[in-house]
Amino acid sequence: MALPNQQTVDYPSFKLVIVGDGGTGKTTFVKRHLTGEFEKKYEPTIGVEVHPLDFFTNCGKIRFYCWDTAGQEKFGGLRDGYYIHGQCAIIMFDVTARLTYKNVPTWHRDLCRVCENIPIVLCGNKVDVKNRQVKAKQVTFHRKKNLQYYEISAKSNYNFEKPFLYLARKLAGDANLHFVESPALAPPEVQIDLAAQQQHEAELLAAASQPLPDDDDDQFE
Amino acid sequence: QHQWPPPSHHNDDDDHVPAEDEDTGAQVAPIVKLEEVAVSTGEEEEDPILDLKANLYRFDNEGNEWKERGGGNVKLLKHKVSGKVRLVMRQSKTLSRSAPIILEHSGNEKSCVWHASDFADGELKDELFCIRFPSVENCKAFMKTMQEVAESQGEEEENKDASAAAGLLKKLTVGEDKLEDKEPPEKATDTNVKGEQDV
Repeated sequence: MALPNQQTVDYPSFKLVIVGDGGTGKTTFVKRHLTGEFEKKYEPTIGVEVHPLDFFTNCGKIRFYCWDTAGQEKFGGLRDGYYIHGQCAIIMFDVTARLTYKNVPTWHRDLCRVCENIPIVLCGNKVDVKNRQVKAKQVTFHRKKNLQYYEISAKSNYNFEKPFLYLARKLAGDANLHFVESPALAPPEVQIDLAAQQQHEAELLAAASQPLPDDDDDQFE
Repeated sequence: QHQWPPPSHHNDDDDHVPAEDEDTGAQVAPIVKLEEVAVSTGEEEEDPILDLKANLYRFDNEGNEWKERGGGNVKLLKHKVSGKVRLVMRQSKTLSRSAPIILEHSGNEKSCVWHASDFADGELKDELFCIRFPSVENCKAFMKTMQEVAESQGEEEENKDASAAAGLLKKLTVGEDKLEDKEPPEKATDTNVKGEQDV
């Protein structure tokens, strides 16, 4: 099924709508998957940003078109117009901000008006933070509305693959689907000359003086 | 002292979190039918000579800062025929690849900085990378292996051992066939283990 405004690819692809209050980490979560970066600066998303995200599974390659929507009302653009033809969804809230969980029912209602009977994952983000405001046992909305729930951290990558794996399994109707190694293609030959090498060394020294991102030493998975 | 493996996330309400594979979602009709396929990792013709957990960073010139690239297993893979070595890292859990080709490096106690051609996204890009290990020992093992690789790929390495010399001649033949410009070992050595990285 080719959706409007999206290029077609020769493997299965799905429109994934990501909603939730501003500042809950929707864009940071998507970016973590796309580039590996953990974006610390908060820049409100305006309207929507669509990012294709590929995964390799034991049943071949699949793609999610991630429709990362504005969480702040003033930047909402077409608002629920972005939900049209959504095939799966993520509702994001921030476990350190109680209001973002209180607003989940509103996001769910607006989403379900447009997208009927699609798999939805509720995500409680920022579980790496010590002083969380919404405890795991207080999260009950998913049971009332038949959503799946995952506690995640875009910062520590805790459970960060789970929402996509769950949705992929639902969309394919295969509970045993799992992620596999993406093919590491053999790179072409690289020629390097002396001038380039000297420039590389200069760049290397300059970069080595910059500090690494402030993540914990023991964050290795 | 760092604990390995890292402790799982402590959660006061652990006993109230749904079981790992509990499915509270609605029953929805699947919209695609996928068949199992043979998986090819692209590493079938390579031998792993090093396999360690690490975090990888990429230097962003615009922001003049290091950005996370991924965390997971980093492997140095040696091709069974050509003898060439490359580095492949796969993101933990999703197993997506995020790996550059090694050219040169420097480093300090737990991290190592190098310039490389990056082929992770299917096109070559010059990038500066930094890799951070959970322990000093693993970083030393990585740098030692890197240095050995750089030396063994040197064009005019001298070795008096007959069998090693024979192997070397074989490599030279392969090298000549590929019409490669190689740096003499002195320069290759100079690009290793230089500079200091303050973490």
